[in-house]
Amino acid sequence: MKISKEARHIARSLYRDSLTDGRLDESKVRTIASGLTAAKPRELIAILKTYERLVRLEIERNTARVESAVALDGAMQQQITAQLQQIYRRPIAAEFGVNPELIGGVRVRVGSDVWDGSVAHRLRELGAAL
Amino acid sequence: MANILQEIEQQIAGAKRGVAKQNVGVVREIGDGVAKIEGLTDAMLNEMIDFGNDIYGIALNLEETEVGAIILGEYTHIKEGMECRTTGRLLSVPVGMGLLGRVVNSIGMPLDGKGPVKSDTLYPVEKIAPGIIKRRSVSQPVQTGIMAVDAMIPIGRGQRELIIGDRSTGKTTIGIDTIINQARMNRAAEQAGDKSYRPLYCIYVAIGQKQSNIVRVTNVLEEHGAMPYTIVLAASAADTATNQYLAPFAGAAMGEWFMDNGMDALIIFDDLSKHAVAYRQVSLVLRRPSGREAYPGDVFYLHSRLLERAARLSEKAGNGSLTALPIIETQLGDVSAYIPTNVISITDGQIYLETDLFYQGIRPAISVGLSVSRVGSAAQVKAMKQVAGRIKGDLAQFRELAAFAQFGSDLDAKTQAQLERGKRIVEVFKQPQYNPVPIEVQVGLLWAVQNGFFDDVAVDKLKDCQAQMSDYLTSRKPELMTKILKEKALSDALVAELKAAVTEFKQTYR
Ligand SMILES: Nc1ncnc2c1ncn2[C@@H]1O[C@H](COP(=O)(O)OP(=O)(O)OP(=O)(O)O)[C@@H](O)[C@H]1O
Ligand SMILES: [Mg+2]
Repeated sequence: MKISKEARHIARSLYRDSLTDGRLDESKVRTIASGLTAAKPRELIAILKTYERLVRLEIERNTARVESAVALDGAMQQQITAQLQQIYRRPIAAEFGVNPELIGGVRVRVGSDVWDGSVAHRLRELGAAL
Repeated sequence: MANILQEIEQQIAGAKRGVAKQNVGVVREIGDGVAKIEGLTDAMLNEMIDFGNDIYGIALNLEETEVGAIILGEYTHIKEGMECRTTGRLLSVPVGMGLLGRVVNSIGMPLDGKGPVKSDTLYPVEKIAPGIIKRRSVSQPVQTGIMAVDAMIPIGRGQRELIIGDRSTGKTTIGIDTIINQARMNRAAEQAGDKSYRPLYCIYVAIGQKQSNIVRVTNVLEEHGAMPYTIVLAASAADTATNQYLAPFAGAAMGEWFMDNGMDALIIFDDLSKHAVAYRQVSLVLRRPSGREAYPGDVFYLHSRLLERAARLSEKAGNGSLTALPIIETQLGDVSAYIPTNVISITDGQIYLETDLFYQGIRPAISVGLSVSRVGSAAQVKAMKQVAGRIKGDLAQFRELAAFAQFGSDLDAKTQAQLERGKRIVEVFKQPQYNPVPIEVQVGLLWAVQNGFFDDVAVDKLKDCQAQMSDYLTSRKPELMTKILKEKALSDALVAELKAAVTEFKQTYR
C-alpha cells in the first residue's frame, strides 16, 4: 500500500506523543488510537497502519523472544533475562517458548537482533560450509 | 581425503565457538527485483543481504523502519514473510590475472562455459577513488591505433575520455579497435622480450546491449587474438536492471586490481546512457524521488564516483593506472541532454562522432572540431607531436575553406593548394575497422602528408597509395620504423632517413 508523506508524518508525530521518558506508554497508545478513530482524519487507515507498525517495532525492540528445544527452568530463564539486560542496558521483557525444531540449544530474538545457539542452526551452517 | 577431514574439523571448531549476534529482517514487499525489508537495523549502505539458498541482495535504501534492497539474480524465489540477514560484507567480485580471457557477469561469474574463474582475491564493487596525494598527472600514452585519435585527440594512461555520438556511428568500434591494438602491442613486446614496455590490459563492460551484439564483440576480439589480454563483463538487455546497474562498478573493481598492483588497465563502459536508464529503473522501484528526465537526483554522483576511479597513481603508490573510455549515445546529436552533459563535465575530453560524416564515408566519423583531449597531449609521443602538431588546425581551416569554396568564387592558387591538401588529410584519416595502425607507421604517413608527398596523388587513389606506403615502410624499412618507435622523436637524421624512404617508395609507386 502506498502511504502518503503526510500520513506518515502524522503517524510519526502521534508515535512520538505516545512515549513517556522515551518508553512506550500503553495508556497513551490506547487514548491516541481510539481518539484517532473517532476523529476520522483523511487517510485514517494509512495513518493507523503506520502508527501500528511503529508501535509494534518498538515493542519488538524491547521484547526478547526466547525459544528453546525443551522448556527452560526458572533459574535458566532468570539468567537469560539478566544477560539481556546487561547487553541492552534497558528493560527487556522476555517471552519464553518451546520449539522442538531447534533440536537443542536456545535462540533469542530482540527486535532484529538474533542470537542463534540452536543445534538446528549450527547444522545448517555446517551444511552450507561443506 | 585428509584435507577434507581437516576442513570438517575446522568447521566443527568454528561451530563450537560462542554464539554470534546476527541481524535479521523480514521481507514485507517484493517486486521488480527490489525487496522492502522490515528490521535489519544494523544494515550498512551497500551491504550484502543474505536471503538464504545463495540469493543475495544489496541494501541501497536505509530508512527509519525499512531497508530497500536490490536482489542479485533470481528474485522470484523470494517470498513475503521470508527472513533475511545482514552479512557484514560489501558486494565483491573476483579480480586478478585469472579473469583475462574470460566473459563474466556483474558478480564475476563465468558466462563463457570455460569453467570457474581462477581468482583468490575479491575486491569490493564500490570503492572510494584514489585521493589527490596518490595521483599524478597523465604522462604515458594509450595508443589506440586509430590515426585520427592518436594524432589529434591523444589519450594518456589514467585519462577519462568520453566517446559520444548517435546510434550506429562507430562508438563501439573505437573501443574495440583500441583493445585490438593493445593486444597487438602487448604481444609484440612479449615476443621481443621487451621488459620496459608496460602492457595495457583491457576490460570491456557491455551494459544493456543485445546479447547478439555482445557475442559479436567477443568474437571479433577472439578473432584478432585480443582475448588473452581482455576481460569482457556483460550485463545484457535481458539481465535485470540491478545487474546492469552494477556492471560498470564491478568492471572498475577488476581494473583497480591491475592499477593497485602497479599495472596499467583500460576500461570501456559501453554504454553509460543505458546504465543511467538501468539506474533510473532501480531508483523508481526503490521509490526514490526523481528529477530531470525522471532520472534520480544522484545520477550525476553515480557517474562521477564511477569515473573518478580512473587514475594514474604516483610512483610511490605503485605507478599503476586505470584509463576509462565511457561511451554515451546521443539522440539526434543532442549533447545538451541530461546524461550527456553530466558525463561530458566529468571526463577529460570527448571523441565526438557524427552521423553525417559517417554517411559521407568518413569513418571513423570523428568530428575534429568538437573532439578534444584535455590532458592527453602531455602523454603524446614526441615524434607524433612533431608531425601532427599542426594537423588539427589545418583540418579545421580546410573545413572553413571548403564551405567557402562551395560558393564557386575564383580561388587563388594558395587557397586551392590548401583545399587539395585538406582533402588528402581527410582521406588519410579514413580507416577501416579492426585495423589499428602502429604509431611508427602513423608518424611516417603523416610526415609524408605534411611534406607534400601525397599532393600529386589523386584523391580517389590516395587510400591505395597510403596502404602501399604502409606496407613498404613496415616490410622494407623495418629498422627505420623500429628507430622511430624506440627514439620516440624525429631527429634530423631520422627525418633524412624517412625522406629517403618515402622518396624511394614514390619512385616505385605508379
Ligand atoms: N571505421 C569504420 N569503417 C567502416 N565501418 C565501420 C567503421 N566503424 C564502424 N563501422 C561500422 O558501422 C556500424 C556501427 O558501428 P558500431 O557498432 O561501432 O557503432 P555504435 O555507435 O557502437 O552503434 P550502436 O549505437 O548500435 O551501439 C557497424 O556495422 C560497423 O561495422
Ligand atoms: Mg555500440
